[in-house]
Amino acid sequence: MKVFITFIAVIAFTSTCVAQDFTKAMATAKTSYSAGKLEEAHFALQQAMQEVDLIIGKEVLKLLPPKMDVMEINAKGDNVASNVGFVGATIHRVYEKAGRKADVSIISNSPLVAMMNTMLNTPLLGGMMHDNKTKIVKVQGYKARLEKQPGSTNDKNDYELQIPLGSALFTFKVDDCTDTQILALAETMPLQKIAKLIE
Amino acid sequence: MKRVLYFLCFLISVMVTNNVSSQSLFKKLKDKVVNKAVDNAVEKKTGVAPAGESGNGNSGSTGKPTNKGGGGLSNTTPPDVKAQMAEAESAHAAKNYSDARYSLQQALMGVEIQLGRQILKSLPASVDALNVDTAQDVVMSTQWGWNNLSIQRVWKNKADKQLTMTVGNAGIYAGLAAMYFANAGTIEANNAKQNFKQVKVKGNKAVIQYEDSKGYTLIVSLGQSSMIVWECINFANEQEVMNTANTFDIDGIKKMLGEQ
Repeated sequence: MKVFITFIAVIAFTSTCVAQDFTKAMATAKTSYSAGKLEEAHFALQQAMQEVDLIIGKEVLKLLPPKMDVMEINAKGDNVASNVGFVGATIHRVYEKAGRKADVSIISNSPLVAMMNTMLNTPLLGGMMHDNKTKIVKVQGYKARLEKQPGSTNDKNDYELQIPLGSALFTFKVDDCTDTQILALAETMPLQKIAKLIE
Repeated sequence: MKRVLYFLCFLISVMVTNNVSSQSLFKKLKDKVVNKAVDNAVEKKTGVAPAGESGNGNSGSTGKPTNKGGGGLSNTTPPDVKAQMAEAESAHAAKNYSDARYSLQQALMGVEIQLGRQILKSLPASVDALNVDTAQDVVMSTQWGWNNLSIQRVWKNKADKQLTMTVGNAGIYAGLAAMYFANAGTIEANNAKQNFKQVKVKGNKAVIQYEDSKGYTLIVSLGQSSMIVWECINFANEQEVMNTANTFDIDGIKKMLGEQ
């Protein structure tokens, strides 16, 4: 299951992108459209949308908490990048301290993710993928999939929480923790505000 | 092992869908038989035919009426591109980024629909003695799905010969199709009867497929993210399909879609 979801995420892979100037893109779009150059207007509008997705990504990063338990933001891990095909963006943040790590990734406005979310929410397929390492939980009213993974040592576990939000996928992974701990940390994130911004 | 699991997932989905369909069919047949038996028993006892039997009999087995027609849905006008662009700029200035994004999507959809109509206008009214059926013209733009823009036109005659042409600007799908064309392993060769092979249409890579139940399907990859699909029903042979495809201005369509 993890391989499959990773595969989908890779298919909607990000490209590092210098932010386009929204105003410039809109000016080009309006000029091209008035001149009847529809294809150029189309491309300029896609660039403008890419810019908006990147801005939304940065706003989402501002909404995330400054700390996760004792872990603090690793500024170098903050990243917002556009997805391939000018559709949506991938937002990433890392919290780290004293060898512990938590990772937040949000893929927004991706039709591939929308397809995967539909599958995750389908009782038959979702049920088939259930095993003793995964369970369905609720976080702030949102259905989520919690998966236990091997930790840094034999007696420790990592946990990964995946929350489908329409055409966005919110993934939260914490190293060396318990399921209770990751769920408690997830409760500190304003999911409703984030969902409203990225939907 | 994992591939087996994925295949099983797909197979079970298909089986469940079919099972649900066949179960509902079986239920309908069973209900029909049971209701008929009950109606016969009632008639024997009372001498009166059950209600609905002498009428149109339009009720289903559960008493729910069947639909006989309606006005359908009216076409909505495409988004006003200039207005949506203005709204996007206002929303962006007000830092209302969700609304800005939505307006941009609407503007994109409006441009794509106009582009689609332009392409439709450029297509001929008659091809290979087949006449266009404008009632089946389709221009569809979905900013959320796999296909951004899809344009369809049908030509036919009274002798059941039909050509359906679909033009699509579908980034991810077209990329996969290009990989498909390049994969020699998918091409049949040295068979007594080939059903699938690579060809060219006006210098553009294409694949052609034949099935008795479907006729000929010719797919041309256009540049980075577009393709044209011709579905040819009751065409005499491969050469006729190729001749028909070669009458289209593929370079013109490429230019309109912004492909090289």
